[in-house]
Amino acid sequence: MPLARSQMTAVSDPYAHASDEDLLLAHASGDPRAAGALTLRVLPRVLAQALRMLANRAEAEDVAQDTMLRLWRIAPDWRRGEAQVSTWLYRVTANLCTDRLRKRRHVAIDEVAEPLDATPSVAAQMQTRARLRALSDALAQLPERQAQAVALRHLEGLSNPEIAQIMDISVASVESLTARGKRALSAIMAGRKAELGYDDDEPA
Amino acid sequence: MTMTNPPDDMLDDLFAQARNLAPVPDDALIARVLADAARPAPVLRPQPSVLAQMRAMIGGWPALGSLAAATVAGIWIGIAPPPVVVDYAAGLFGETVSLGLSAEEFMIAGELSDG
Repeated sequence: MPLARSQMTAVSDPYAHASDEDLLLAHASGDPRAAGALTLRVLPRVLAQALRMLANRAEAEDVAQDTMLRLWRIAPDWRRGEAQVSTWLYRVTANLCTDRLRKRRHVAIDEVAEPLDATPSVAAQMQTRARLRALSDALAQLPERQAQAVALRHLEGLSNPEIAQIMDISVASVESLTARGKRALSAIMAGRKAELGYDDDEPA
Repeated sequence: MTMTNPPDDMLDDLFAQARNLAPVPDDALIARVLADAARPAPVLRPQPSVLAQMRAMIGGWPALGSLAAATVAGIWIGIAPPPVVVDYAAGLFGETVSLGLSAEEFMIAGELSDG
């Protein structure tokens, strides 16, 4: 089954010492294997960022594909040393995710869980999924810049200077956005505490 | 005597759960991404001008040449109709018809027919 992946692992070796940017520029200049190597390297992180913000696998995959598509499109115009590929990816993924979250505001709020696997831990899985979906829905209610800053800080674990670079704002602005965003999230989530199984003293 | 705010405990726990997500892109997603990479980027051509669009609609320069020739011939026939056209028009309308070309003549003609 893992045909594509094994092919890519095989081709990723020659690029072991190449930076993301080297791979992108190689792709732009027609190296047919560079895209595979770069995809293997960055796609998991892009997908994770999207999944953490959206709490929906299908939507996260669409965002990840769209982000990568934009990367391929910009490749011919990419100027070496001007930006980091990873910074660019964080920015585009965050923007695409808040676009999705904005649309979600107008959709029925309780189309929550997708069908679950019939494993013994179904209940736990269901609770985790419901919690992450609730977090994502709460993010959707924040102003977009706040949602992005909070997600980059608390879901990606990035530092404020990194976030400042990604969002192209000052570190002070990042601090203010994350503080306000977290406070707003806290207020939104407080009402769902019991429903999400946080009514005990100890978090589950 | 806990110093933390309970909703924040919940938030921090949720953040931690989200950070723990480490999805592995499946082969289908990788294939979609690589298919996009292999597809040549659409070339963004500048929008053609209105004149260029009309020219293309009509059929390019050769067609425009014929159109211009036909237009000139039509105008010429209007200005100096060969006898056969005059006869034909007279047969059709019962009298000799002549049309002026200048704006004033059009306006005068309009006032006459209105009045």
